[in-house]
Amino acid sequence: MNLIDRYVTEVGKNLPLLKGREDIEKELKSTLEDMLEDRVEQTGRLRDEAMEIELLKEYGSPQKVAATYNPHPYLIGPRLFPFFLMVLKIVIPVLVTVLLVLTGIRAATDTPFMGMDFVNIVGKGLGGIVSAAITAFGNIVLVFVILERVLPDKEIGDFSDEKDWDPASLAKEPDPDTVKRSDLIAEIVFTFVGLAILNLFPEILGMSYFTEEKAFFIPMFSVEFFKFMPWINAIFLAEIVLDIYLLRSAIWTSVTRIAKIIIEAASIALAVIILRTPDIFGFTAESFQSVPNSSVNAEMLMKIFNFSFSIAIIIVIIVAGVEMAKAAFALLRVNYKRK
Amino acid sequence: MANTESLENVVLELRRGVIVLAVLSQLSSEQYGYSLLKLLSDQGLEVDQGTLYPLLRRLEAHGLLESVWKLEEARPRRYYIISAEGKKILPKLKKEWAGIVSVMAKVLA
Repeated sequence: MNLIDRYVTEVGKNLPLLKGREDIEKELKSTLEDMLEDRVEQTGRLRDEAMEIELLKEYGSPQKVAATYNPHPYLIGPRLFPFFLMVLKIVIPVLVTVLLVLTGIRAATDTPFMGMDFVNIVGKGLGGIVSAAITAFGNIVLVFVILERVLPDKEIGDFSDEKDWDPASLAKEPDPDTVKRSDLIAEIVFTFVGLAILNLFPEILGMSYFTEEKAFFIPMFSVEFFKFMPWINAIFLAEIVLDIYLLRSAIWTSVTRIAKIIIEAASIALAVIILRTPDIFGFTAESFQSVPNSSVNAEMLMKIFNFSFSIAIIIVIIVAGVEMAKAAFALLRVNYKRK
Repeated sequence: MANTESLENVVLELRRGVIVLAVLSQLSSEQYGYSLLKLLSDQGLEVDQGTLYPLLRRLEAHGLLESVWKLEEARPRRYYIISAEGKKILPKLKKEWAGIVSVMAKVLA
């Protein structure tokens, strides 16, 4: 194998995996031979290795030559990049928020005492969040790198809204009927996480207490609370269905606003009923008595947790009330305008 | 240093579009890569091999050129010629170029 052949093989090794790779190598060899022949004619010298080296030096390193054939010199090209950024901006904050909430729940329920366990849980939780965010980032990059290489150029072009974009959309005030996609996506994720925890992992909602011999677990909610689960599930599912519908339709209508008012009213009614139901809370004097040698000031803790729970339910009622009022106001305003 | 680099980049940008037109205009008769390079060079347009060969492949992929391998003097050569599609757009490109030249002449006067 002479120098030219070795050079062509080296270029071939560095070529991106594309059709006609052999063609490129064949054409390159033919070109180099032509150039050498030209030099022999022009200089009157005989072809030798020195002449080949001189030519190859001028032609450039095999890596550089191979790179000129790369149709995708980017990891993620300029056409997909805005879409990539959009996905990142949604996924990473939602993921970090959900994991922060879960870490907070674990830290609050597993260890009611400020001690090593608390530091451990929070430390591990934060470490987990960083690594989850990096993993998510890596996976998103991977998906886009693949999309960049498998999507035909025309399809990539469809991601940009250039053609459909209308300057009239730059209204002075945002259209109140347009749905906020980021809000909806966040709401779907949180509702889904809430559903999953309450139905599949209710055991993480509680307080763990360890003695030297045994671990004790006091659930946060009593059986009384879980009797409300079908109603809670129905409301959460209705919320998710409405959000998905809104994501698809991208616009609020009277029907969806009425549905939103009904769902929020149901949430408020259920929250009020739960708040007024006695013995809904798992942390009772009896449950603390099951823990031997407990140094826990049971009554004090019970009061703190009962109070926090009531506050949480009241916040739910206020938020649902605000959402309901917003939907009702928008409905009235639209109907008023039509008249 | 930075100024020289930016100047080179601007010159490269300027030439990039021109080369497509020059290549299409020279391929009414078939040429292989190196002969095309020399043909352009003889007329004063120096094109780097690293630019020309990938460009020929792209133009062929877009259906503006056709190519065929021929064995000549015991050496296989890939000959390129403008396609029917290329012939359709060449006059439009020439017209566009004439427009740019006349506008730029006014702008730079």
